Amino acid sequence: MLRVIVDQDGPPTWNMAADEALLLGEHPATLRLYGWAPHAVSLGYFQSLRDFADLPAATPIVRRLTGGGAIHHGDEITFALAADATLLAGDVGDSYRRLHDEIVVALATAGVACQRLDAGDAQHARPRQRWCFAAPGRDDLVTNRGKLLGSAQRRIHSPRPRVLHHGSLVLQRPALTPFVAAVDDVAAPPTRPQLRSLLTAAVARTLGLVAQPGQWTAAEHERTTSLEPRYRDANFTARR
Amino acid sequence: MRPNDCKFLKSHEWCKVVDGIATIGITDYAVSHLSDLVFLDLPAKGSSVTIGESFGEIESVKAVSSLYSPVSGEVLDSNKDLPDNLDWLGQDPFGKAWMLKVRVTAVSPEVMDTKAYDAHCKAEG
Repeated sequence: MLRVIVDQDGPPTWNMAADEALLLGEHPATLRLYGWAPHAVSLGYFQSLRDFADLPAATPIVRRLTGGGAIHHGDEITFALAADATLLAGDVGDSYRRLHDEIVVALATAGVACQRLDAGDAQHARPRQRWCFAAPGRDDLVTNRGKLLGSAQRRIHSPRPRVLHHGSLVLQRPALTPFVAAVDDVAAPPTRPQLRSLLTAAVARTLGLVAQPGQWTAAEHERTTSLEPRYRDANFTARR
Repeated sequence: MRPNDCKFLKSHEWCKVVDGIATIGITDYAVSHLSDLVFLDLPAKGSSVTIGESFGEIESVKAVSSLYSPVSGEVLDSNKDLPDNLDWLGQDPFGKAWMLKVRVTAVSPEVMDTKAYDAHCKAEG
């Protein structure tokens, strides 16, 4: 069973702590769908805060546990899949391809045409772009306007093999990254609830599980509370 | 062919202990499943590592993965050249792509020999 949790838009530090709590948790597979209030920039785990010194001073910035480039989380649907690694067997690339192919099919049913890049930049070198959406590469989902879905993973083996997969589906172009594609580019964009349903169906199909609405457990909530101070810590955000 | 004088964790780290000093790295299997490596973070000389706990992190284009220690002890050295030469991990994961040298106080009871690790990799696919 794929437990599906739909959260209200939440503070950046809470969002990141919640996703880590799910990664460290016991539930075999949870899909959390959420948004950001306030809108914020999330840095990839290895990115340097110094590279973002030009952002407006009031911009909330948080460091993700997952890799990749920075994302300006504006009007979007963010999802976090936390699952046992056995449910996403194969290598990292395999997991992206399976998940993204299902999302392409799901979005197409609502009139949002996108495709997974088969090839593209091999990206053997360190990322040249600081923004996740700036340079679509292999396995990214794109439209003719640019990259539509930002994705990144964290993989752990202790306490047991688990994967956290982050996805950001852009609804409207954020101010700091106007070069992205957006769901609202189509003439009759699907509603937010429709998009949540489509993403849920795509993830469930990828894992071969049945999706069911679920809730946070008290233990998960408590773990989130205990993890959040790290994401609030300016030293963690500026660790690079 | 993986070396027979190394021990392995299920999480795909290897270690080779000689005269109480462990050399630690990640295996060819780990490298092939991560692909397109971009960043590596290793602990500094003088820090300590603990069996089963994360000693570092590695990022591929699509994922950050934690690295787990097969031993406990003091870090005597880390491969400072490796973060700028991550292609070494693909070329020589058991040689010049070593990550840490550790003065060992204990070795994980969960380490496997080469034959068992080969079977583990085959089972993981």
